[in-house]
Amino acid sequence: MIKRVLIANRGEIALRILRACRQLGIEAVVAYSEADRESRAVLVADEAICIGPADAKRSYLSAPAVISAALATGCDAIHPGYGFLSENASFAEAAAAHGLTFIGPSAEVLERFESKAEVRALLAKHGLPTIPGSDGVVADEAAAAKAATKIGYPVILKASAGGGGRGMRVIQNADDLAQLFSLCTQEAQAAFGDGSLYLEKYLVDTHHVEVQIAVDKAGTALHFGERDCSVQRRHQKLVEESPSTALTPKVREEFLARAAKAIGAAGYRNLGTLEFLVGPGGKPYFIEINCRIQVEHPVTEMVTGVDLVALQIRLAAGELMPMTQAEVERRGHAIEFRLTAEDPVHEFRPQAGEITTFRSPSGPWVRFDSHLYAGYEVPPYYDSLLAKLIVWGNTREEAIARSRAALREVEIGGVETTRDFFLGLLETPSFLNGTATTGMLDAIGTADILAAAPKARA
Amino acid sequence: MAHDTERLGDLLDSLLPVLVERLHETGLGEIEIERDGATLRVRAEDLDAPAVAASAPAVSRAGSSATSAPAPTAADDRRHPVRASAVGFVKLAPDIHVGGKVAKGSLVATVDVLGVAVEVRADHGGIVAKLRCASGDPVEYGQELFLLESVGEGKL
Repeated sequence: MIKRVLIANRGEIALRILRACRQLGIEAVVAYSEADRESRAVLVADEAICIGPADAKRSYLSAPAVISAALATGCDAIHPGYGFLSENASFAEAAAAHGLTFIGPSAEVLERFESKAEVRALLAKHGLPTIPGSDGVVADEAAAAKAATKIGYPVILKASAGGGGRGMRVIQNADDLAQLFSLCTQEAQAAFGDGSLYLEKYLVDTHHVEVQIAVDKAGTALHFGERDCSVQRRHQKLVEESPSTALTPKVREEFLARAAKAIGAAGYRNLGTLEFLVGPGGKPYFIEINCRIQVEHPVTEMVTGVDLVALQIRLAAGELMPMTQAEVERRGHAIEFRLTAEDPVHEFRPQAGEITTFRSPSGPWVRFDSHLYAGYEVPPYYDSLLAKLIVWGNTREEAIARSRAALREVEIGGVETTRDFFLGLLETPSFLNGTATTGMLDAIGTADILAAAPKARA
Repeated sequence: MAHDTERLGDLLDSLLPVLVERLHETGLGEIEIERDGATLRVRAEDLDAPAVAASAPAVSRAGSSATSAPAPTAADDRRHPVRASAVGFVKLAPDIHVGGKVAKGSLVATVDVLGVAVEVRADHGGIVAKLRCASGDPVEYGQELFLLESVGEGKL
């Protein structure tokens, strides 16, 4: 049983969690930094507690401050939202040590799913396809050539000691490999003090497709369909939708069922998301797991009718899965737009300042999750998400048409936003025909997308 | 309207310091004065925090526990709130009681954060005028613990 939850987050997700708590009849206390004293979640909450200064390291990222606040307000659980402490195993462990229920996977589970390489190996063992590659480090050029031929070009040569996008080179064919292998070895040696390399198949024109899963304490694992998050700018998701246009119905059902089975068997618990890359052949390869509620969860809520935050809280409280897979019905198509305080005309430069006018869109099947109000001061310290517009339609076309209408109703004054960028995106052929891959935005360029936006009435 | 605003400003300038002083002397909860069709009401929500409302009711806002600092007034200059440096359970130093003397920079309280005592030190010297909490109370970051009144330069 959970009676009283400390919401250790801010912005729209604090409000979202507050709503779930109220719906479940659970008391909630909103933890906030000094910079968020006037935030909507704080104003709306029955109770709120200041946990530190604006600097997140001393407030939202401070495990002692958050746990101390939970104890000071008599809470028995903490919801970490997304970002901040949400996937931090030592935080989850410290919370549990103070008798608090961490609403998410337990510390043990978070630890087990911490290392990307280990999680890939674990889930491969449980039947999820991962990106084909050399079996560990390749000894020399001959071994690399053999592995590359087996996998098929193009391949990507990666420094074993590299990471974060560094120490990688795309190899198009055998000639390239002969030319570049020793150079890559030298580069890796110079950059990381270790010249060893490994190979992976290089997937071009991929869709980012992720599966929403939930597992109860008994290991019953369900999936709630997939989300396609291919519209990205420099690895930041801007638009998410469900279902994905990259999967055929046959591939989809088999893939989703396999993902749920694997994650349950691998020992995962609570809510999570499995991320995949889907290449032009339509085959999904597992890349990583997110052990938290995600920004784009409403897309799934709109097509399934399942309140994922409420489900997450109930599972954390120890309840068994309240539904069967057959009862999770997916209907129609939903799209989410992340409206941020960024100026698309100037390289998406982050904005801060007072919101002078604010009008949210409405109408049938239009959902608008936002913490804004006119007069609210967007603080410069945190991420720039202002609102999520989620629109549902019977078909993708209907959802897109409805999205255009809803976006035009959005009125956010005082800061530059990404609204017009999305209006342009909704006129861009590669988005409209569902072929947009993760590289699309960087290839087309912001200016062309903005130019496609219908001009506002003068 | 510009005229009204100006008149209101004059009224505030001339009367407010007097009213605040009077409020402190008398210990009254509220003083209201009517002049030239405008109403000026000064309400002491607490000893140190006169809430001022002119011609309109004071704006009240739901939400956070009461730590928002009120706009300083002339009479506030001598009063210095001492605030919690962390969120947790407070323990006041032994000499923190009404009338107790506090030296600038001295340790006046600790906040227990999961067993770690986080220090609270006085930014000003003075006499404890009003306690806002008791040892063992849960406090939030920045919460006013007690009020110090300075007793003139160089005395402490």
